[in-house]
Amino acid sequence: MSESIIPYLLTVVFVSFVINLVIALYGIFARPTLVKKIIALTIFSDSLNSLAIFVGYRVVSGRVPAPPVVVNYTNPQGPAQLAKVAVDPLPQALVLTAIVIGLAVTLFMVKVTMQVYRVYGTTSVRKLERIEHGNRGEEDEGVVE
Amino acid sequence: MIDLIAALLMAVAAVTSIVFTYLAVVEKNLIQAVVFSAVQSTMYALIYFLLMAPDIVLVYLPVGVGIYPAIILLLIKKTDKVDE
Repeated sequence: MSESIIPYLLTVVFVSFVINLVIALYGIFARPTLVKKIIALTIFSDSLNSLAIFVGYRVVSGRVPAPPVVVNYTNPQGPAQLAKVAVDPLPQALVLTAIVIGLAVTLFMVKVTMQVYRVYGTTSVRKLERIEHGNRGEEDEGVVE
Repeated sequence: MIDLIAALLMAVAAVTSIVFTYLAVVEKNLIQAVVFSAVQSTMYALIYFLLMAPDIVLVYLPVGVGIYPAIILLLIKKTDKVDE
């Protein structure tokens, strides 16, 4: 019975990640505040990382798969036995790097948002657009005069 | 049996993360949105653990639940408090 239910449950997990991606994309494009965009972008990158890890998962019948950690060093057959029951370690290594890079990018965006607030006094992109249009209009008038 | 329980927990955590992602995106109060985002990160950490990625859990739990909310709360403290 469990063999038929487990793929269904894993499909639920996969579809949840995709739905999270869509909601986070909506947050990035539709919400006006830059802080909310940063929050949605972190959720977006985490969902993509989760999809990458999910691709490396596998179903081993009768037990949960082993984490990709070699414990039995002395036995020369240890890695071969581990490869039969362990999940794929490559996506996990890539995602580990991606999480750290995402942290650095988020810190950069936080700093840029702070500077935007210091210069313009708002973090809403709608107000920023209005301010930008106002400045451009004044410059055009100056050129005409 | 244990693999069925692991998959069931994974599905529950994934569906809960959808709820908290939605709340984090539509919430007007930015501080509450950050808290919802941290709860969603906790759900993801649980899913990573059940997907047999213990090293990812060790990195993602401090980053997703500790550092991201901390720096975004600092940002909110210095800028607007409310989404418009």
